[in-house]
Amino acid sequence: MFQLRWIWNNLKGYRGRYIFALCLTLTGTTMYLFNPVFGQKIVDSFIYGENAAYELANHKDKLIMLCLGLVIFTVVRTLIQFSANMLYEVCSQGMLAKIRDRLFDTVQKQDMSFYDHSRTGDIMTRLSGDLDMVRHTVAWIIKTLLESIVLFGATTIYFFILDPLMALCLLALTPLIFIISGVFRKDVGPKYVNLREKLSQLNTRAQENIAGNRVVRAFAREDYEIGLFGDHNLDYASANKAAAMTWLRYFPMIEMTAQGLSVVQLIAGGLFVISGRLTMGEYVAFSSLIWTLSNPMRNVGALINDLQRFMASATKVIEVYYSSPLIKDREDTMQMPEHFKGSVEFRNVSFSYDNKKVLDNVSFKIRAGETIAIMGETGSGKTTLINMIPRLYDPDEGEVLVDGVNVRFIRLETLRRNIGVAMQDVLLWSDTIDGNISFGDSDMPEEDTIKCAKCSDADEFINELGDGYNTIIGERGVGLSGGQKQRISLARALAVKPAILILDDTTSAVDLETEKTIQENLDELDFKCTKIIIAQRISSVKNADKIIIMKNGKISEIGTHKELLRNKSGYYSEIFRLQQSSIE
Amino acid sequence: MARNKFDVDERLETPFDIKHFKRAMVYVARYKKRMAAALLLSAAAVIVGLFAPVITQHAIDTNIPQKDIPGLIISAVLLLLTIAVNVIFSTVRSKIMTEVGQDIIYDIRRDLFEHLQRLSFEYYDSRPHGKILVRIINYVNSVSDTLSNGIINVILDIFNLLFITVFMFAMDSRMALVVLAGVPFLMTFILVIKNGQRRAWQAVSNKSSNLNAYLHEGIVGARVTQLFVREEENSEIFAGLSEAFRKDWMKAVTYNNLLWPTVDTISAVISASIYFVGLLIIGPASVSLGTIVAMGGYASRFWQPIMNLANMFNNFVNSVSYLERIFETLDEPVKVNDKENAVELPTIEGNVEFRNVTFSYDESKTVLEDLSFKVNKGESVALVGPTGAGKTTIVNLISRFYDVTNGAVLIDGYNVEDVKLASLRSQMGIMLQDSVIFSGTIADNIRYGKLDATMEEIERACKTVRADEFIREFPKGYDTVINESGTMLSQGQKQLLAFARTLISDPKILVLDEATSSIDAKTEKMLQQGLDRLLKGRTSFIIAHRLSTIRNCDKIMYISDRRITECGTHEELMAKKGDYYRLCHARRDQDEEADACEAQAC
Repeated sequence: MFQLRWIWNNLKGYRGRYIFALCLTLTGTTMYLFNPVFGQKIVDSFIYGENAAYELANHKDKLIMLCLGLVIFTVVRTLIQFSANMLYEVCSQGMLAKIRDRLFDTVQKQDMSFYDHSRTGDIMTRLSGDLDMVRHTVAWIIKTLLESIVLFGATTIYFFILDPLMALCLLALTPLIFIISGVFRKDVGPKYVNLREKLSQLNTRAQENIAGNRVVRAFAREDYEIGLFGDHNLDYASANKAAAMTWLRYFPMIEMTAQGLSVVQLIAGGLFVISGRLTMGEYVAFSSLIWTLSNPMRNVGALINDLQRFMASATKVIEVYYSSPLIKDREDTMQMPEHFKGSVEFRNVSFSYDNKKVLDNVSFKIRAGETIAIMGETGSGKTTLINMIPRLYDPDEGEVLVDGVNVRFIRLETLRRNIGVAMQDVLLWSDTIDGNISFGDSDMPEEDTIKCAKCSDADEFINELGDGYNTIIGERGVGLSGGQKQRISLARALAVKPAILILDDTTSAVDLETEKTIQENLDELDFKCTKIIIAQRISSVKNADKIIIMKNGKISEIGTHKELLRNKSGYYSEIFRLQQSSIE
Repeated sequence: MARNKFDVDERLETPFDIKHFKRAMVYVARYKKRMAAALLLSAAAVIVGLFAPVITQHAIDTNIPQKDIPGLIISAVLLLLTIAVNVIFSTVRSKIMTEVGQDIIYDIRRDLFEHLQRLSFEYYDSRPHGKILVRIINYVNSVSDTLSNGIINVILDIFNLLFITVFMFAMDSRMALVVLAGVPFLMTFILVIKNGQRRAWQAVSNKSSNLNAYLHEGIVGARVTQLFVREEENSEIFAGLSEAFRKDWMKAVTYNNLLWPTVDTISAVISASIYFVGLLIIGPASVSLGTIVAMGGYASRFWQPIMNLANMFNNFVNSVSYLERIFETLDEPVKVNDKENAVELPTIEGNVEFRNVTFSYDESKTVLEDLSFKVNKGESVALVGPTGAGKTTIVNLISRFYDVTNGAVLIDGYNVEDVKLASLRSQMGIMLQDSVIFSGTIADNIRYGKLDATMEEIERACKTVRADEFIREFPKGYDTVINESGTMLSQGQKQLLAFARTLISDPKILVLDEATSSIDAKTEKMLQQGLDRLLKGRTSFIIAHRLSTIRNCDKIMYISDRRITECGTHEELMAKKGDYYRLCHARRDQDEEADACEAQAC
């Protein structure tokens, strides 16, 4: 079973302790079998024994010793079992933390296409509920399994020594358990796969409701959401019941078989005693240990139940665990200087997204230090184009070069450290404003943070917030206006002093005066950089060294403001006239 | 407002309080009939189970020595019967309790979700979303077993305990006292660890909440993380949270694991004491040997339910740390809610009035002060002014997302605080800055605005906002599945979809808050034509920075410094040469330059 091997691999560093814990459990269980011995001894010697009265009168010390022995034996046994249990926790928690950390790391490094096709709620489920099932397996299932096997094995051997025929009679029911369990396993497996899928859907539903809480309010869709969530809630509860009911369908059979052992024991044992094959003492020996056979047998069902559940969850966890992004460092990366000059070239770049061509044979060159503007209709491929530079996506055809080197041959970290992007869809973290601006370089001194904020004309409103730069902003920057978020996002991009600065419609929500200030500030940056600016307003782009107009994934026009205006029927001229006419 | 961060524990200072548990009983009580049935079944199963040793005993004492084979077989059949009855009863009980357990958590989760739908933006804005999510999903799941099987078992064990105690006292009260002597020790132990244990489990629930919060942000913010090469640092932060969780978990679980060895040890001491006291102190002279032996047996049967109860105690402490969080959320006050005598707002005509409105999010900072204005039905109003001046706040007050601190907001003469929220908001179309997309098909996303919309209506809305074209370019068209985290759609396209979603809801009052900021000028121009037709007869509030959008409005309000500083048409305000004039001027300067360039070019 791959899932169990995977667990074993991840127990590395804890394997010794884990095995030791298993040994301790076995010792503890064995000792448990001997617990009654003390009481038995006391009863035999001092109560029902032939010389009980004499013993009691003259060997009080022996009685006290036995009483003490009973206590000490129990203390030792519970200590052993306590240590074993703590060790399981140490191992399972250690392993869990290791897996969790790696999962987080893996998830973070996934390609953007992974995120395009997965639901946040589902990833959350894998890293919380599913992972907990893995913990449960290590901390509980394996231990119980082993305990059951050993108990069953030891008793079987002991019984065979006592009387092989009687032992065989008792074991006759064992195959039945295995058959029932086998059928049960096949039956319940899909139920657990379904259950965790329902949990994932529930999670997704709740997550999207929380993320979209403003839209829900805006459309007064609370009742609709409650209904929708209610369906998922019910589905999940039903899936839970379905899995449990499957188990409860088999439970009576397994339980009957396990408890049926005592009936077998009564008839077979009774007949053997009557026929003289067994002595009464041997009969009692069988009878007193019968639970060590029946308990493991009834555990089998519960264990299979848990194991199937574990399998369903572990499969999902492992999927993420081993998924590796397509966009990653190659073996043969080129040696690049730490700071790039900042030239960018697209050579016949094409890119499709779900069979829809988004970029179609795009070629252009930007020299280091130039300012390039990109304009075009909604959905014409502007954002996709700039996503190619920091390799958020790789082109299907053609190549993107930075400083003359195909970006595929540059170490991702080096490449991205030289690029500062202020995205259109501003994603801020629920952290302080300072923490958000210094996101790319958390060791940044505060003066630099303030400088960047000033540059993006954010310093003023930040100071007006309650705690200034230490104000905590909500997830995705809630609580700030669109323009404020954009300015923080811009400051964040500037803070890394990138060789290539990409601004994806970064000032669309700021007012005109602020935009003007920001533009002036950007012209006077204290570091050299190539600027690629996506914008909608002529005023934002007209001073660029080159303006690229995108249309349906192709470059339809390219040139300076003057050059583009010459083409009267072009998009640029059209926009120019349009915006012109709105001003008297 | 004080916001919570992923690495900050949410404080909750309450001592171990049975009230959380009592409150949970409200949920349990709904199923008391089924639970009573389960309890009876369990009790019956226990009683039937008592026959098994009697039958076995009879077989050993009578059948076997008498070589009575038919008798032996009868005994075996009887034994099989008791087992069968026992198993059937237990199975039925388990079935009932599985249902009940799931129904209870279904109820709790439903109530929690329903309550969350009534909470305002503020609640969502002031804490990481992962922390809310973990309560709805994980915490609720954690309490199911305790609230169903847990309760039944506690009742059974308590009965068991009482039964045995009575039995022991009936047999020999001196010896019974010896058995009971262990109880105070156990109680003392529980009292000693109780507070620590509770704090430890509280810490665990906090740490798991923090961990999930960061995880959630990590997933949502993955793109930014990658762009800023923060993977390693984020992983370290996560590992730190992960480690904090592990530490607290270990602490909490240590308390739990300590409990049963203690019970076990006490019970061993008691067993030893029975022999010691019985044989040496009281002496065989005054207590029969049989009693001593029987007492030894009872002692272990007395301590077994106690062991179970101790286990249940652990589970309860653990569950309470989740329950209190669930109840805390359920107790979160609903700030904006229907008044008791709220009326249904009739079909809105569209007259909006602000009467001396003062508003502040918190005491410290007033956002709007003594604001008054009137908008007549069918008018379009542009709100302009510096970012953060309070434009969004004004439109939020119209939809009553917040309640004013002073003054009143009236729609057609109705104070928005006096009407039913749903009747108000369902007539308003609000397009926000962030275009939220739900995972589902494109058609589903638009249908959100009007749940019974036909495909034709959806297509018409999309055509109006110029979204139809790009939607059709997808191989699956309107059935294309999009998702919240995806980048399949450009920001502008998302805005167009959100636009279509708003339009299809046929709002009487339309609020556009930077709704077209990411849409290019050309598309917007085309959009405008469709919109103009649609806006006719509807009151609309538009927040935008693009002059072309603003100047077409009937009325322009310049918001600055908590009030309206200018109000009028584009022409009026331009003539006034005030703030608005300066704002346009900034644009104009640039465009004059452009004019010059163009002139040169020609």
